[in-house]
Amino acid sequence: MKRIVVVAAVLAFSAGAVVAQQDQVKQTQAQMKETGKNAGALGAIVKGEKPYDQATVNTALATFEDTAKKLPTLFPESTKGLKPDGDYSASPKIWEDKAGFEQHIASYAKAVADAKGKIKDVDTLKAELGAIGKQCGGCHETFRLKKG
Amino acid sequence: MLRRILLLAILAGIAGFGVFWWLTIPATVAASALPAHQADLANGREIFNAGGCSSCHAVPKQDDRLKLGGGLAIPSPFGTFYAPNISPDPNDGIGRWSEADFVTAVMKGTSPVGTHFFPAFPYTSYEHAKISDVRDLFAYLKTLPAVVGKVRDHDVPFPFNIRRNIGIWKLLFMDDKPLVADTSKSEQWNRGAYLVNSFGHCAECHSPRNFLGGIITAQRFAGGPNPEGEGWVPNITQKRLSDWSAKDISYFLESGQTPDGDSAGGAMTRVIKNTSQLSAQDRDAIAEYIKSLPAVEGPPRPKKPEKKES
Repeated sequence: MKRIVVVAAVLAFSAGAVVAQQDQVKQTQAQMKETGKNAGALGAIVKGEKPYDQATVNTALATFEDTAKKLPTLFPESTKGLKPDGDYSASPKIWEDKAGFEQHIASYAKAVADAKGKIKDVDTLKAELGAIGKQCGGCHETFRLKKG
Repeated sequence: MLRRILLLAILAGIAGFGVFWWLTIPATVAASALPAHQADLANGREIFNAGGCSSCHAVPKQDDRLKLGGGLAIPSPFGTFYAPNISPDPNDGIGRWSEADFVTAVMKGTSPVGTHFFPAFPYTSYEHAKISDVRDLFAYLKTLPAVVGKVRDHDVPFPFNIRRNIGIWKLLFMDDKPLVADTSKSEQWNRGAYLVNSFGHCAECHSPRNFLGGIITAQRFAGGPNPEGEGWVPNITQKRLSDWSAKDISYFLESGQTPDGDSAGGAMTRVIKNTSQLSAQDRDAIAEYIKSLPAVEGPPRPKKPEKKES
């Protein structure tokens, strides 16, 4: 009886862990999607499709900052090798080159911090969004995989 | 009788080899064929950025995209290529090349010693360039810093390492047809068509390839498996980009940002580093042309891998 309980507990626990990993991946994707959505809103302003709006800028910056804060925890070792739904998956390089990955996060966080308080109009937005966007691309170049 | 058959076989072999040798003679451009030319360095720089030279030839893992010492590993189904040093260093780079050597290399894919370059060097696109642009590019490259250091040999196994065979490949896949301007289209469109199909060499990655590594013409620009390994290169015809405006494409080439706020990843990140340096007019021209590409269905994507459940 004891054994059954232990086995059941272990099974339940590991099943729970798998679910937790899947949830983690979903959360990571949601965070990235939200970040992208905000960057897209700023892009629309830079392109002249939408008028300049400080509230949109502030919301986006807050999201970027939140992402910068969460990024170090979004890719735990346990999610390595999972193939989530969606267009992209995390490259194994995130865990193989942890130092490099963390350096990218730090430089993204710095670009976001630098932009705070500087964006007042379309021109300043264009400059700062460019600097932040470069950080997004710089990390996605190596650490994100587009799926077949 | 047997001797006669043997003799015939040998003769046929020699004749066959002769034909092969003749068919695979590397093409060159003679210095005497180049008219007088006053180099335009500003145009050379624009061409350098349109051509994406530094994406492959810049020394990897450092930030100066003008240090063209080479060394980047370019994996392919045929082996791994290592981008050579094209800095003006006289020993390790192209410092001793004549202008005709350079034009021959870029437009014919033939080295100064008369061997075929591997088509990892996208001369199938560069062959459509204007000679004057190639010469301006050469003049511009000469102004960049010399970088010391020879790059290692390519790691390409037999039989692909026999360079003479590339002569046959060129017969099959270099179309040799000059780009003709379409007078029914705007000047901007034609400029875009020129940049995309010559220096921009967009189709080299954004098209599927056959088993010999040649672009499948009917599916040009329709995307396909990443030739450098994992992942997929997107279809850039209107099949996939119909909800992108020309402005979106232009902005993407400038910033790396897609209309939905996502950012370019993978090898495109390196491309953006070049296109972000282009003039806005040239980016708009590329965008207008790309926006005009008729929708073409690309190769089917492989089925999604089974989800790992535990």
